[in-house]
Amino acid sequence: MKRIVCITAFAAALAVAAAASARTSPGPMSGPSKAVTSEILDAIALEIERAKSALRIAGALPPYFIGHKLTEVEVSDTVASLGSTTWKKDRHFVTLDARVHVGDYKLDNSNFVIANAERTDGLATLQLPIEATPRIARRVAWLVTDAAYKEALEQIRAKIDTRRAGGTSDPDRPSHTRRAAFVKQEPVEVPALESNDALDRRARAISRVFRGIAHVRDSRVAFTSFLERRWYINSEGTRAHDTRRVSGVIIVATAQADDGQELAVFYSRYGHTAKDLPGDSELLAEARNLAKKLDAIRKAPVVDNYIGPVLFEGGGAVDIVRTTLAPHLGGTPLPEGLSAAEAKQFGGGLSDDTVGLRVLSPLLSVTDDPTSHRSGRRALIGGFQIDDEGVPAQRVEVVRDGFLKTLLIGRTPSKKLRTSNGHARRSAPGGVYRGTATNLFISGKRGLSRKQLVGKLLAEARAQGLPYALIIRRLDDAAMTAAPELSARELLHLYQSTDREAPPIAIEASRVYPDGREELVRGVQLRPVRLREWEDILAVGKKANVFNFLASGQLNIAHKINGVADNGAVPSAGIESAVVTPDLLFRKLQVVRSTAGRRGATAVSRPR
Amino acid sequence: MGIVRILWLLGAALLLAACPKPDEIDRPLPPLDREGEKKQSDLPPAIPAKLEVERVAPDADHKPSARSPIVDIMSSEIKRSMDVLSQQPIPVYYLSYQVYDNRRVVIETDGGALLTFTDDTERFLDTEVRVGSAKLDNRHQLSNEQEDAINAPMPRKSIMPFGTDELSIRHHLWLDTDRRYREAALALRRVLVDKSVTAQEDSPPDFAIARAEEYIESPASLDFDEDMWIKRARDCSKRAFRGVATRATCRLDFELRTVYFVNSEGTVLQMVRPSALMSVSVGVKADDGMPLGRVEQRFARTPAGLPDDAELDRIIARVTSDLNALHRAPVVDPYVGPAILEGRAAGVFFHEVFGHRIEGHRQKQRTSGQTFASKVGEEIMPQWLTVYDDPTLLTANGAPLNGFYRFDDEGVRAQRAILVERGVLKGFIMGRNPIAGFSRSNGHGRKEPGRNAVSRQGNLVVSVSRSVQGDELERALIAEVKRQGKPFGMVFSDISGGFTNTSRFLPQAFKVNPVMAYRVYPDGRRELVRGVDIVGTPLTALGSIMLASREVETFNGMCGAESGWVPVSASAPSLLLKSLEVERGFKGVDRPPVLPPPSIEREPNSAQNHDRRGN
Repeated sequence: MKRIVCITAFAAALAVAAAASARTSPGPMSGPSKAVTSEILDAIALEIERAKSALRIAGALPPYFIGHKLTEVEVSDTVASLGSTTWKKDRHFVTLDARVHVGDYKLDNSNFVIANAERTDGLATLQLPIEATPRIARRVAWLVTDAAYKEALEQIRAKIDTRRAGGTSDPDRPSHTRRAAFVKQEPVEVPALESNDALDRRARAISRVFRGIAHVRDSRVAFTSFLERRWYINSEGTRAHDTRRVSGVIIVATAQADDGQELAVFYSRYGHTAKDLPGDSELLAEARNLAKKLDAIRKAPVVDNYIGPVLFEGGGAVDIVRTTLAPHLGGTPLPEGLSAAEAKQFGGGLSDDTVGLRVLSPLLSVTDDPTSHRSGRRALIGGFQIDDEGVPAQRVEVVRDGFLKTLLIGRTPSKKLRTSNGHARRSAPGGVYRGTATNLFISGKRGLSRKQLVGKLLAEARAQGLPYALIIRRLDDAAMTAAPELSARELLHLYQSTDREAPPIAIEASRVYPDGREELVRGVQLRPVRLREWEDILAVGKKANVFNFLASGQLNIAHKINGVADNGAVPSAGIESAVVTPDLLFRKLQVVRSTAGRRGATAVSRPR
Repeated sequence: MGIVRILWLLGAALLLAACPKPDEIDRPLPPLDREGEKKQSDLPPAIPAKLEVERVAPDADHKPSARSPIVDIMSSEIKRSMDVLSQQPIPVYYLSYQVYDNRRVVIETDGGALLTFTDDTERFLDTEVRVGSAKLDNRHQLSNEQEDAINAPMPRKSIMPFGTDELSIRHHLWLDTDRRYREAALALRRVLVDKSVTAQEDSPPDFAIARAEEYIESPASLDFDEDMWIKRARDCSKRAFRGVATRATCRLDFELRTVYFVNSEGTVLQMVRPSALMSVSVGVKADDGMPLGRVEQRFARTPAGLPDDAELDRIIARVTSDLNALHRAPVVDPYVGPAILEGRAAGVFFHEVFGHRIEGHRQKQRTSGQTFASKVGEEIMPQWLTVYDDPTLLTANGAPLNGFYRFDDEGVRAQRAILVERGVLKGFIMGRNPIAGFSRSNGHGRKEPGRNAVSRQGNLVVSVSRSVQGDELERALIAEVKRQGKPFGMVFSDISGGFTNTSRFLPQAFKVNPVMAYRVYPDGRRELVRGVDIVGTPLTALGSIMLASREVETFNGMCGAESGWVPVSASAPSLLLKSLEVERGFKGVDRPPVLPPPSIEREPNSAQNHDRRGN
């Protein structure tokens, strides 16, 4: 007999929260899906049931868990440059992912990477029609489950063999968490997508700002509007539905310093709909501001090598959280079968062995709350009701006063964290979703005003015998700024010479002198920022910085290498995420002078 | 890197393979069956195969008044850039812009349901900058192949704004010119270092100068009834989902491509290419794990030119009955013996086995096998065979040819390239990369957007001056089977694609993948078999052609190689070969689905088509 957990109270709470936070009328709604109806879900559920009871190969393990995720995506993207559209597309598609686990909850195939066969992971995906056709949906479910089952059998064989040969550090840890059935089938209505024509008009109008600005080399303005409807059905009886909705805008401009170094700055804003984005006049001002900032940066000197206190201010604070802290908050064990070097990209700096220990500065507390939709007046896009394993989202206090309370986790347990807290989000090799930050809130004790923070920064610099200190206001995000400026040979050199563990280069940074004078600098490359440096936070700001972004599945260097795609970087790929953090003052970080990206001056003058 | 070229039906996937192993292979040539050594009575009747073609002069329909303002913007920006860049220490001597305006509609249905509908318009820019001189420029081949690949212009489609706003278009032309100039200058420096530190023989120039051309074609529109075509595609895939098929898709690709090309030699082109493609595809996994599929495609210039309902019914009936038959067919054992390549299969065969080896730039690549480089003037096929490539052919026997174009991607007028005349090798398919004895392009420099052009096929035609009726060809096959004492001969009626290796580090072999292959027994009985690949070496295979049919068929498809996917066609009569080698193809290891199919509503008449699912 399956237990059914009632969602009513949870859903009602969300509805109230959403209603209370809505600034304005949401406008026209997207309406229910025409591609995935209850008949489609019934057809897929029937196929899961059939597979669970009958899918087996003689002499091999049967599936003990089958989970299907249906994802319907509607997206409108547009990009403009200098007043003209360069890209405009609408997309609508539906996919069906099947995950099959063989063995049992104690030891199954999951979270294991087969050497040279990373994609044999018990997960298969096929496309579904964009119009509801139950007979086709059931056929697809049949084929995709079959494919995932066969992969799962290969995966568990390899996992057992590898454990025999190389052992495992944690043989008693279960592979998967048992959960009661969870049912939440009512449609989640979200506002309809904005008209792509309207977004295009805005992009063109804002992008015109750069027409007359001589020092701006390349520029673009992109809007996106997308929704993702998701349905989760599994053999435990779970049947849940959720919808995510995001609109966003990015503005990018590039220039060349006098010494030839290429420079890029960007502005981005995401919300639930375009109503959460700034209006045109504000975006026009932001575009002009970017151009002005770029002019100042290109005239700025290149920083010298530096070891000392660094203040991360505004977007800089968000970026250092995003790139050096958030990846370590997931508690999902790293996939077996990967080398330590390969596994590093999935974070894992904190293990459940450190729960209860001090891991950050006692000034800091960290909470992740996917049930939150706003921070003050700003929308947060990292929220959801159901995670990617069909588990209801939960607010999780991760760190209190520097001490680790728990980690973000899905249904793949760690040694001590056996229950999902609804944070399965990022897919990774090994075929499981990893616990991942969603709406991440960093709060600090004894927050200081900016003046006090800068004073403390300078005092620390003085104490360390330094003539100045550093402030970082923005790290690069190559998913936004990558540009096709480099040749294949130069990209190869870039790939070989980049320290993949270091944060992206700072694109907005200043030296601050004892008299309070600030001087913009460029070429500011942080050395890797380890977790231990987070224990040495000297002070935090009073004000919270709120920033939404789409967390890319690719490394920054990969975006740099790939450059903007044919589309001119439409910002609609990645996991919806938000960080809310005060400014952060680190006691000691290392910065190296970067002169990367230098090239000769342009021979032909810019067209007028 | 050795390059493997593939010809697939339109829409199939690209495959590239690497094979670094520097070791030259010198192979003696096999003897040919020379006509002169034969008695006159042994030759086929002196009746040419039936081939009626419609040819279009490249500059027919030139309409100067239809010139887009984009072309003028491109021209003036080229002049502005050349004025400065040609005076630099590393001077630009050639600059071209190619802007693609593409509207592409895709309708894909599966089993009666709409899977995909997209209607996208895109605009891209390709800029080519050459620095140094035509004799020695940035594209000169480096001695190290891997280094050479890195030294080539980075494959990339550059951003180009829609509309005709002069400033934004000029700006992006300027940006891309600057990027490509930097890249070219870096590459030339590397070329000069390479030349100074390695022993290199004199080679032909790196670039062929071409005359200035002007051609302006009137703009066109892509018109179609969206609802009607979605309904047709839906109905089509529903009807095709029968028999043993576990997959039945019908797909429509409508495209309107307008290309603007301007270069520093004064060439100005504006060309329009409309196309429409209908694909009906069914598939199933055989019990032994072999993936089986049948695809039929029809190509036309516009949606209205695609098959009507009656023709579509025939296509559906053909793919479904073929798939059912393939599902029951035995797997073939390796075989060497006489075989017939029926029209379309013969076209693909020639494209792979001969066409790719006759592409000019391969005669220059140090790592290429250069099968035909030293054979000009020699007889390489029977004297009744002539082979040419002619992109200016619009139709063959009334069917539209996919490889039609007026000017190539290097701004050169499309021309007929005579490759083999009465059995004697005459020339090569040439782009603007000169080779010894062939200094000029014949208008075959081709690429997909974002790639670097090389010499590629367009409409390959195998023309024969002697032929027999189709049934006589099969009788001749049986006679040859008996003469050779073989248990059976083979007939190949459809080939899905294949590849050929031209790298000298590997054997100069080809492999093509027939879909419909039959054993033909001495008593005339035909038996369908599956899991067959035709393998061999080109000179041997071409030398064993015995007889051709009077009927000529055309294969339309897409060809993938280092310059990307380009539309092509191959027209040929059916051919009888004295000896062809067949080996077992890749079978696949996946077993069919463990569970029987779920209860799925089938086409009403499906029971008669070996439906093993029940209802």
